[in-house]
Amino acid sequence: MIYLDNNATTRVAPEVFNAMQPYLTEIFGNPSSTHTLGRQMKQAIDVAREQVAALIGAADTSEIVFTSCGSESDNWAIRGALSAKPDKKHIVTTQVEHEAVRNLCDLLESEGYEITRLGVSENGELDLNSLRDALRHDTALVSIMLANNETGVLFPMEEIGRIVSEKSDAFFHVDGVQAVGKIPIDLKSTEVDMFALSGHKLHAPQGIGALYLRQGIGLQPLIVGGGQESGRRAGTSAVPNIVGLGAACKLANESDVHERIASLRDKLERQILTTISNTLVNGTSAAGKRLPNTSNISFQYVDGQNILLHLDAAGICVSTGSACHSTTREASPTLKAMNVPYTAAQGSIRFSLGRYNTEAEIDRTLSVLPGIIKKLAEMSPY
Amino acid sequence: MNQESISQHFFAPRNVGDAHEPSFIGRAASLRCGASSRMSLQIGEANNIIEAKFKAAGCNVLVASLSKLTELVQDKTTAEAATIGQDEDLLLNALGGLEPDRFSCTTLARETLLRAVRAYSDAARSEWIGDQALICTCFCVSERTIEETIHDCGLMTVTEVTRACYAGGGCGSCHQLIQEMIDSFGVRRPGAALVSPSEDV
Ligand code: FES
Repeated sequence: MIYLDNNATTRVAPEVFNAMQPYLTEIFGNPSSTHTLGRQMKQAIDVAREQVAALIGAADTSEIVFTSCGSESDNWAIRGALSAKPDKKHIVTTQVEHEAVRNLCDLLESEGYEITRLGVSENGELDLNSLRDALRHDTALVSIMLANNETGVLFPMEEIGRIVSEKSDAFFHVDGVQAVGKIPIDLKSTEVDMFALSGHKLHAPQGIGALYLRQGIGLQPLIVGGGQESGRRAGTSAVPNIVGLGAACKLANESDVHERIASLRDKLERQILTTISNTLVNGTSAAGKRLPNTSNISFQYVDGQNILLHLDAAGICVSTGSACHSTTREASPTLKAMNVPYTAAQGSIRFSLGRYNTEAEIDRTLSVLPGIIKKLAEMSPY
Repeated sequence: MNQESISQHFFAPRNVGDAHEPSFIGRAASLRCGASSRMSLQIGEANNIIEAKFKAAGCNVLVASLSKLTELVQDKTTAEAATIGQDEDLLLNALGGLEPDRFSCTTLARETLLRAVRAYSDAARSEWIGDQALICTCFCVSERTIEETIHDCGLMTVTEVTRACYAGGGCGSCHQLIQEMIDSFGVRRPGAALVSPSEDV
């Protein structure tokens, strides 16, 4: 099987699995316990916290709080920020956020908050002037992702942070889930207040996430109970998963696969664009402005779900830019916000590469794809 | 639930392309589903379907449904094809069953077929040369027959006309004409008030 859907989830790395295994077998205990086993668990968590802090450039390990997933981190950051500024009722976000932020903002709107959703250009890029204009004295929170999950387009987190802190006293939360482990991140040199990440996007297991909380920011917990995570997130620590996340961060930090992934992605993208007609890339092609592993390509006039099923039958996993929800099958909000033409949005496919992809796999994909598109194009009524 | 047939038709769709001339084309699209489809039918002297072909950009169920429909209507008369196009269960069964949330994909396929048959009926009606004007091409019912049926039985709806003389029971392209006939006669049912077109609007 050729797995080109690493933005959806990733395979647990053997290094991660090996690090976790003892904590799923002989080493067990509740890190809150005072006995030896408990202390061992606590030490393991401390190491993991350092590893996470190192990958994202946190100034201090105390800035890392473990959660159950990226969505929990986003929900906590946003809810927590709002309750810390109870008299401010305005939120600035974008039209292209992941559901965890987008749907929460929709909910908050129904709860009485005013939401400004910044649009993007046809390249998927944010207009920073529109951000400047959106900020107000009653803006409680700015929540803007670092990397778009569908197109891989990066938003300039450093610049956004500067603008937010210059123009308002709002919190700045970043959904960094899709970016962590794929590009260098150094939060201490930014104005980011909160930053969400998720383990399963970088070869840790599903069910573990973290929230970076800049020193000095105290958020009301989302989950109330015991005093774990210095009273910030109740619930018995999931030690094996935490150890796994730490190991995954270490792996991403030390690994030299990033350039190889980028060159494979470039090859895949270039070849598709040159060998298959009516194709275009969704998202900017400017260097450094897109995740090096992601390529969202529209095969115009054919159906994306059809392409996906044919690739799947050939043992290749990708995803589409339109999801079938019972009776509707609409283009994703991201592609809509980018004004991608209808027939292009319906035929969009996201290829997202990872550390285990080989050149042979990319070549195989490039060899089966033209035949699939040709067959579907012959069937196209357009 | 047997999905076999859907995937068979999806991965190896039958009858992709355009039917030979003279052909009649039906198109349907759903913005909601992001789907577009067309079916073309080559039809012989005896209202028989010689060739049915389709093209589509839409989900696998739409593709499979169109593929299956082109098989089902092969060698059928246009009236039979129209009946097939109206029968939701027939297509669902032919595809080996389906999750309810995908029914709408099969509906779009049936609509494509029905529109192709209607295109034929409309053309056949206007080209008809007989002593009697032809209204329902699917069941070959003349204007005179329909008129007499409406009068004699005091009919007031298209459904009643269809029940009485088959006219309108196929593709439905004649429904408006039948309705106009009902309206313009201003028929009176025993004991019913006179209905005239002006009051109808
Ligand atoms: S013409 Fe088809 S039903 Fe009358």
